[in-house]
Amino acid sequence: MTTLVTARASRATAVGRVRGLTDAAPPLAVFIAVVAIWEAALTGLNVRQFLLPKPSVILSAVGDQWSVLQQGLTYTGSEALGGLVVGLVLGIAAAFAIARWSTARELLMPIAVGASSIPIIAFAPITSAWFSSQSPLARIAIVTVMVFFPVVVNTVRGLTNVDPAAIELMRSYAASDVAIMRRLRIPNAMPYFFTALRIAATLAVIGAVIGEYFGGPRYALGIYISSEAYVFRYANAWAGILMACLLGIGFYLVVLALERLAIPWQTAKRAADA
Amino acid sequence: MGKSVRLTGLFVIAAIVGLACSSTPGSSSSGGAMTKVRFQLQWVVQAQFAGYNAALDQGYFKDEGLDVTLLPGGPDINNLQVVASGGAELGTSWVPKTLQSREGGTDLVSIAQILQRSGTRMVAFKQANITDPKTMLGKKIGSWLGGNEPELFAAIVKAGGDPTKENVIKQDFNMNAFIAGDIDVAQAMIYNEYAQVLETKNATTGQLYSPNDLNVIDFNDPSIGTAMLQDAIIARESWLKQAGNEDIAVKFLKAAFRGWIYCRDNSQKCADLVVAAGSELKKGHQTWMMNEINGLIWPSPNGIGQLDQAAWDNTINIATTYKVLKAAPNQGAVRTDLAKKALDALGTSVDTKGASFKPTTVTLTEGGN
Repeated sequence: MTTLVTARASRATAVGRVRGLTDAAPPLAVFIAVVAIWEAALTGLNVRQFLLPKPSVILSAVGDQWSVLQQGLTYTGSEALGGLVVGLVLGIAAAFAIARWSTARELLMPIAVGASSIPIIAFAPITSAWFSSQSPLARIAIVTVMVFFPVVVNTVRGLTNVDPAAIELMRSYAASDVAIMRRLRIPNAMPYFFTALRIAATLAVIGAVIGEYFGGPRYALGIYISSEAYVFRYANAWAGILMACLLGIGFYLVVLALERLAIPWQTAKRAADA
Repeated sequence: MGKSVRLTGLFVIAAIVGLACSSTPGSSSSGGAMTKVRFQLQWVVQAQFAGYNAALDQGYFKDEGLDVTLLPGGPDINNLQVVASGGAELGTSWVPKTLQSREGGTDLVSIAQILQRSGTRMVAFKQANITDPKTMLGKKIGSWLGGNEPELFAAIVKAGGDPTKENVIKQDFNMNAFIAGDIDVAQAMIYNEYAQVLETKNATTGQLYSPNDLNVIDFNDPSIGTAMLQDAIIARESWLKQAGNEDIAVKFLKAAFRGWIYCRDNSQKCADLVVAAGSELKKGHQTWMMNEINGLIWPSPNGIGQLDQAAWDNTINIATTYKVLKAAPNQGAVRTDLAKKALDALGTSVDTKGASFKPTTVTLTEGGN
């Protein structure tokens, strides 16, 4: 049976790969068309550069400013990653507690909901005061708060939303709670968890960049974007935005890759379903 | 796709809609009615702009047939953006920022130079042993960035450093990080943030900080020599081109000059006016600021608002040498004719140079009350 599943999975992955290429073509074409129209329209309509710079100008700004942008990518990226890891660890721990004990559910769920409703723009100056605005911890705290909620909610759902018949079966074999958790609940929660992780990955970058509007070193992406925009170097500001965007996409792709490694059966199922 | 891009996209759309909706009031109206002029300040209501409050209060704008609205600025308001996009007819800005905005595609032009000297300083506590740009290198250097950094960066380069390699930290618009020791050497306007430090109690001694606790690095100091021109009045070239607007600008300048002369001679009254106009920091602080601002304006050797060509050339020279600007600006970046006309209109009955001006000593109290 194991060999059969593996064989099916690998076939599905191969199919998925080919499909991935053909799937990528239409959005790629749309993207190229948008960029081309953007470039042509701005040239044709003679729009003032401080309203919207041309893509070619933004690209050359990336080359021009690469040494600063590179520092910003590393700095902001590590803040986002740090917050993501802390938020994940706390979120998973909370999710397990909530799934296991109903008291924990009553205690922790409101906190998770509360954390998700904190307006980040109001929270950022406060974390800056807690950790000093110069410290990356101020941004890591923001990212942690942003990541926490989706991880808790999704993971709890994955851990609890288990087929009752499967639990019955396990119980009939006298499986312990630990065994049920390990062999049934956790595998069941994996797809939910990765869905949460995809959301969290892009949220993390947004949280870090917003937090940086309130302090940090000169090259941090949020600070770079806002101060370049302030002196009308909009091409540079857009280059910074592009970097933040690439960072978010990068995080997302890493999560996708991890997902394929961790739960290949799910990827295979998705390909087969489609 | 990154959500940040979508978010930014929203901001851009909001900004464009905002621009489109900001109406331009009829700049010239008929039949003796008052002409509406919106004037964008580069920062919040404070004694830095007292001359304009005085011109309103003393009816100098009214004398010229102008109905002037002062639009306050702040950390989230880009004064240049507002004037460039027609949200205000006139405004104030530091000269290098105006020039940077021209490189970014605006048609803003400096038409009167109010501050004759730079008010930017770097301050450090005595025990940090930072006394000049050279000793700043390798330390935690605070700056507000966003166009406030050229004098500092030029000084760093001149001292043999590289601003992109130095530990330059974005400083908040208060001195908390400096007092807490998170920043070794902080940017401070002599008329504002410097006073904020002196209005704070030293937690260990329980006394207010005194000037003796601080080292002050002054970019005007000839041994540093990277001071640049600051508060100037700006307008759009395209606005000035429209019939009648040059005349409005001259009238505005004349009334504003009268306001500044009034504030030189009635320093305390002007500080009170600013507090009444709703300044965030109160009387003690505004009195200090008024005194310092007067010291940056007066004496004005060529008359109030008149550009010192040597100081302009120096500003351009520093800006291009230290890559604040890609290239020297073209002829259109500055006009001196309008300020000259306004000065001539004031006549000889008033002292427009303030050659005998001497700043007084203002004692600060905790919290600037």
